[in-house]
Amino acid sequence: MINFKQVSCRLGDQQFNFNLQLPLAQVVAIMGASGSGKSTLLNLLAGFIQPQADAGQILLDGQRVDHLEPSQRPVTSLFQEHNLFAHMSVFNNLALGIRTSLKLTVDEAARVEAALGQVGLQGMGSRLPNQLSGGQRQRVALGRALVRHKPLLLLDEPFSALDPALRQEMAVLVKSLSQQHQLTVLLVTHEPKDVLLLAETVVFIADGGVHWQGPSKDFLQQKDKHIQAYLGQNC
Amino acid sequence: MSKLLSSRRWFWFSGISFGLVLLPLLLAMGAFWSYLGQAQWLTYVQDTYTWRVVWFSWWQASLSTVISLSAAVLVARALARRQSFLGRWLLLRCFSVALVVPSIIAVFGIILLHGKYGYFNQLWQWFGGQPQSYVYGLTGILLAHVFFNLPLASRILLQRFDAINSETWRLSSQLGMTSMDLWRHIEWPYIKGVLPQLSALVFALCFTSFAVVMTLGGGPKATTIEVAIFQAIRFDFDIAKAVYLSLLQMFCCGFILWVGLRLGKPIDIFVSLETTAKNMRPDLRPILGIVSDTVILLIATLLVLLPLLAVVIAGINSAWADVLLDLRLWGAFSNSLWVALSSALLSLLMASGLLLAQRHWRERYAAAALTVEWMGSVILVVPPLVLATGLFIGLSPHVNVFAINLYIVVLVNALMGLPYMLRVLSVAYLKISRDYDRLASSLGVQGWHRLRHVEWPILRKPIGLALALVAAMSAGDLGVVALFGSPDIQTLPLLMYQRLGSYQSEAAGVTAVVLLGLCLGIFVVLERLLGGSGD
Repeated sequence: MINFKQVSCRLGDQQFNFNLQLPLAQVVAIMGASGSGKSTLLNLLAGFIQPQADAGQILLDGQRVDHLEPSQRPVTSLFQEHNLFAHMSVFNNLALGIRTSLKLTVDEAARVEAALGQVGLQGMGSRLPNQLSGGQRQRVALGRALVRHKPLLLLDEPFSALDPALRQEMAVLVKSLSQQHQLTVLLVTHEPKDVLLLAETVVFIADGGVHWQGPSKDFLQQKDKHIQAYLGQNC
Repeated sequence: MSKLLSSRRWFWFSGISFGLVLLPLLLAMGAFWSYLGQAQWLTYVQDTYTWRVVWFSWWQASLSTVISLSAAVLVARALARRQSFLGRWLLLRCFSVALVVPSIIAVFGIILLHGKYGYFNQLWQWFGGQPQSYVYGLTGILLAHVFFNLPLASRILLQRFDAINSETWRLSSQLGMTSMDLWRHIEWPYIKGVLPQLSALVFALCFTSFAVVMTLGGGPKATTIEVAIFQAIRFDFDIAKAVYLSLLQMFCCGFILWVGLRLGKPIDIFVSLETTAKNMRPDLRPILGIVSDTVILLIATLLVLLPLLAVVIAGINSAWADVLLDLRLWGAFSNSLWVALSSALLSLLMASGLLLAQRHWRERYAAAALTVEWMGSVILVVPPLVLATGLFIGLSPHVNVFAINLYIVVLVNALMGLPYMLRVLSVAYLKISRDYDRLASSLGVQGWHRLRHVEWPILRKPIGLALALVAAMSAGDLGVVALFGSPDIQTLPLLMYQRLGSYQSEAAGVTAVVLLGLCLGIFVVLERLLGGSGD
């Protein structure tokens, strides 16, 4: 269970306050207008933003994580871009997920190769990121998430730079990987298609807090004013 | 297509600019050419003194480059890590000031600190040591070169450090990278791309540095080619030898430039020092890092601040009334101010004409457009003293060069400022034509209206910066002025040099403060006045 208890923070003029309970081992879509606080929610969970002092708790399986360093949290993040070090080979980009010194044992190197295979990039370990397509780069980043072996995967609009066919391909890959590895995936997206294809649950963010939460099949039929305005259905 | 000027008019304007740039160069080259037959080549080539000078030029420039760059890497990294460091503002200000401080002022400050009766020796004696004389020669030259080039290199490197995007920092903090990991996997790959170009730049600046070597070196052990040219003309009256040395110097500079161009594309010297959002580096907590960064930043601040402070303190003495009431000072002051403003304006005129031509040619004649960049670089192969020597030789049969010396000084300084002008202006200049040419022509905005509503609002900031920089550098110029200097016509740096040379230390102190005030004043006024308030 992921649990946000009265977690608040302030960025510029905007005040955020999150209360949220989410079951583990499923795909959750985080939706909401731009600037509503979707990324802020993920950043709080990953530890890139600190909540205001003494304001709330973030719990994972009952354990507090809000005081931990980002590297100590059981979390892997995937951003829209810049997920890879451009000057480093694909193999090394993955290897960083195991050891930042890049000195891998034979077993660990085999794990990297296996992860490359799982994301469909076998044999491409020696390439540089700029020799790959945008979709392939995102798959490398997914591969690193696999070798890091963290139960939580936070995806911040990771497919938005990809064309529709690739988006679908990536979505399917995320879905199957999350099932195989029992991952909990939090996916920030604007695309209703992603929701239908991937997510079991939708969390809708508005005005710096959680506005609605429920099964994804209900989400698109909601009569709520905010949600309809967001989906563009108010005509 | 609507352009700023009609086709006939831009042709004349650009033509004049090309003429202003090319004529002095051709005149100088022609003068060298006419001396080629007269030189006793064999004597020069066999002269061991000359080869020692060449060797020393390379040696001091190499050392200066290595020291400045390694220190700059440390300083830039510490600055990138400590974005909320208390002294950050002060340090960055000092670094900006160091860009426009005249060499003679820095040299004076360094002598005040490190000279035989300087502060450091006094401190040393207080501890019971014997006074050490180390400032004249290689040590002093290195100190001065680091004073100028550490700030320059740190600024450029800091920009590279700051260019690392926030996702990278988040990623590395999630991966739990240590400070060493960050350096090896992220920072080093980011900065190593600029290091070759940066080295070439710093090397070229140190290789052709004149005032520093002239004042702190100059003996047989510590003379560079640039100073040797000066000595050949002013002390030996051996024009042929000056020509020989000038050719040698041009060959060396050409080689450095060629290596620099081979190593990558030019770097941006003028970077804004506004830092981006707070970075997310994972290595800010360890106490060892905090201590080492603080020590590094403190030393860097003192390195730049102490010489300037020493100059200001030296200026507060009993001689101020005598010096300030001396009409020679104000004559020199007004000459320097005139030289500064004229050089900057002339340089702007040259650069505008060249860039206008580049704009017109860019569409059809890419090769011709390249000549503009090429002309900016050609100036770098002909250092000030060489160009001045060429003009000296070329003009002296026809006119009394000492009577028109200030005009020559203006011309040479304008040409020296041209690479900086072009570098600062070209990006904004090309951006205007790329982004707005079509819009402007569809709206019929041209001529004066285009100048007023399109060009000026976009260009005023870079123009302000470029004018300020060239003006401040020209006001502090010693090299060219020294070559043409006559007792009748003084400039402030020349007056300062003479007072330093004749041990009038109190008068020199006051003169130094006036010169420093002039350079900083010119820079601030031009940058703010023309550039407008930063919006």
